[in-house]
Amino acid sequence: MAEQGLFIYGIVPCDVEPTPDAEGVGDPPGEVAAIQHGELAALVSPIGLEEPLGRPADLTAYEGLLDGTAAVAPVLPVRFGTVVTGEDAVEDLLAAHHEQFADALAEFEDRMQYTVHGRFDEAEFIGGLLAENGSAAALADQIRGRSEAESREQRIRLGEMISQAVELRREAENRAVIDAVGQYAVANAPRQPSHELDAVNVAFLVGADDEQEFVRALEEFAEQRRELIRMRLTGPLAPYDFVSAHQLVE
Amino acid sequence: MTVATTSSQPGSALERSGGGGGGTLADVVETVLDKGVVIDAQVSVAVVGIQLLEINARIVIASVETYLRFAEAVDRLSITPKDTKGLPDLVGDAAGAATKGKAISGLGKAAQEISGAVADSLGNRDDDRERPRPRRRRDEER
Repeated sequence: MAEQGLFIYGIVPCDVEPTPDAEGVGDPPGEVAAIQHGELAALVSPIGLEEPLGRPADLTAYEGLLDGTAAVAPVLPVRFGTVVTGEDAVEDLLAAHHEQFADALAEFEDRMQYTVHGRFDEAEFIGGLLAENGSAAALADQIRGRSEAESREQRIRLGEMISQAVELRREAENRAVIDAVGQYAVANAPRQPSHELDAVNVAFLVGADDEQEFVRALEEFAEQRRELIRMRLTGPLAPYDFVSAHQLVE
Repeated sequence: MTVATTSSQPGSALERSGGGGGGTLADVVETVLDKGVVIDAQVSVAVVGIQLLEINARIVIASVETYLRFAEAVDRLSITPKDTKGLPDLVGDAAGAATKGKAISGLGKAAQEISGAVADSLGNRDDDRERPRPRRRRDEER
């Protein structure tokens, strides 16, 4: 039999236990268990050390388990792909950082992450830029109807202007969304853009009591921009973007 | 394992999805990759054979290719009537991990309602289950 390790999903209070239908990563999916130590437990499942990870099903299983857990209890996600040798290693880990983990979990009690993502409508954004920026409009006239080879230099200059305008507007929109809904969140974490037309990408940590107001404020923000930005809200999620302060890198 | 809760109130400008790993793969990758507590190297035995070819796809770096693509969009704008809404161009890479939603042609003010409908259908692109409200999964019970 191939050597086995334990895949760690996250750290939870010791009273959290997986339900029998919880499925882990791997093929076939591993059975999820909780290994307890003191006030803490780690959610783990066995994984063959030779087994490749990172298939789509592995990622969705990982997120599914963590988000499902976060809906009922605080959870510290552990970075995807963390595999340790066995139960002893898990207990060592929980023992070595018991206080830090317990403090972090207390902060996430009744709080969940919502990720706000917006993307510019390309035509609307560019149309607006050309309408208000004379030099961009002039460049646009120079490239229209000409091949890329004929107008490459102008195309690059125009494209660069558009790209810079997107970046500036993105910074402004990220600030604007934090201004608009940040009061209903405990914390916020701007995220890296994931697409060249990203308009907004911010994670918020929201208390259960503030969820409705948060969503209402965000709907208003989205409504004010509905032609320019396609806004999406994902959540509730485990607090993926709020555990960086608890990274243990020594 | 998938409960995708994509719900948009009719007419709402905000599209919603419920997490839980039920979104598109691109969403899942963006949500979880490079996040979470990093465990000490001496305890952790291995990060075993992670095959995530899409990691670089998440990093947006402005390049000449980007510029040329934007310029091409300007070209398209000139030949497309402002009030015509194009179909979303869903591009998946070979691994199917990066999905880009992109409207091809002009999205004019007159097309507001149509665009709303398209946004709705985009929200359901991987999942035709429509739920009135996000629902939480419960894998764990205290």
